[in-house]
Amino acid sequence: MNDTLTIWTKKFMTNRSLQWKQMVMDVLHPGKAMVPETEIWEKLAKMYKVTPDVTFLFGFRTHFSGGKTIGFGMIYDSLDYTKENEPKHRLARHGLYEKKETSRKQQKELKNRMKKARGLQRPMLCCQKERLQIHR
Amino acid sequence: MAVTAQVQALTKKVRAGAYLTEKGLSLLEVKDQLLLMYLMDLSHLILEKASGGSLQGHAAVLRLVEIRTVLEKLRPLDQKLKYQIDKLVKTAVTGSLSENDPLRFKPHPSNMMSKLSSEDEEEVEAEEGQSGASGKKSANGTVKKYVPPRLVPVHYDETEAEREKKRLDRAKRRALSSSVIRELKEQYSDAPEEIRDARHPHVTRQSQEDQHRINYEESMMVRLSVSKREKGRRKRANVMSSQLHSLTHFSDISALTGGTPHLDEDQNPIKKRKKIPKNSRKKKESNCLNLVSLLEHPHARLHLPFVVA
Repeated sequence: MNDTLTIWTKKFMTNRSLQWKQMVMDVLHPGKAMVPETEIWEKLAKMYKVTPDVTFLFGFRTHFSGGKTIGFGMIYDSLDYTKENEPKHRLARHGLYEKKETSRKQQKELKNRMKKARGLQRPMLCCQKERLQIHR
Repeated sequence: MAVTAQVQALTKKVRAGAYLTEKGLSLLEVKDQLLLMYLMDLSHLILEKASGGSLQGHAAVLRLVEIRTVLEKLRPLDQKLKYQIDKLVKTAVTGSLSENDPLRFKPHPSNMMSKLSSEDEEEVEAEEGQSGASGKKSANGTVKKYVPPRLVPVHYDETEAEREKKRLDRAKRRALSSSVIRELKEQYSDAPEEIRDARHPHVTRQSQEDQHRINYEESMMVRLSVSKREKGRRKRANVMSSQLHSLTHFSDISALTGGTPHLDEDQNPIKKRKKIPKNSRKKKESNCLNLVSLLEHPHARLHLPFVVA
């Protein structure tokens, strides 16, 4: 952990309906490049006495000539609420969500095959696709 | 003796319930009476002191304190009624409502009806078929220039002359805000000279817009995307503030003086001819033609060697 890393929080607001606390964060890191997210999680968690897995950060922009970065932070009341309310890409940064890697070409081929099929033959095609995937 | 008799008669009346207070007392009456009582007690105390008595534990002091507290508690009530009382007094003095009174602006349905005759109404409505505001008629107000709503694309036929005029107008406006003209204005105006630590107007404008954007982003907790044009503007504003550009470069004021627009060599360098690949390079003649066209260019400065005969 860097000694010279300072965090100021501004515009703190508690959102009771979505069970989070939001704030604007000023991260000061003089003389260095921007620190990795994990360090800021830990620092923020210590400040607000929570675990680092309910802290979420986004929107960080470093000012010209370095030293200061401004971004937004959110702290949830509990992990269940994060799973409900947080967007998937941010959950993925914490490792709580895995994005499905679908091949775009395969999807389009399947769609075009479905266009030709009529009625109940369409779900058959979907199962066919799954069978193909298992084989691979 | 007569005083005591009067006071006793009054107290008898009050005890008998002759004065009804079920609807409460008027605030103004209460204030008046309290102030009078205050004055009476105060004068009594002054008399006591003047005749050499002591005020220690005097009943009038306690009464004074009580009246004072009540008056101070009445002050917020007074504030709340101030508007009503002032209006009443003004109406009583002038005899009618004042001009800014909001009661004057109640709706007048009679103004919504068209005052034109029936034939005119039909014509007007047929013409206004395309425009959106068919049924509205303004009650009162100045006649403004009619701006038709843009519903259907219309043929654009701006003549060359109009375009030229617009360009000239824009150039004039830009010239008026240039530093040369501003300094002339300052020289000849009577207003006191203001010395400000002001940056170039483009820079201040850009910094204001940046500030607005930052405020929005921080309050909404989102990041806005920056278009290419915005990026260019920002870069130019930064560059302008960091150079000593304004010391030697002045904006073009030929639009006001009527001369030909001269372009600064540093700001607008002549664009070099693009390099043609060797394969497609044409013959010598065409090269000569290119040279001729360069010579004809108004800003061309070819350094031809002097031939001394």
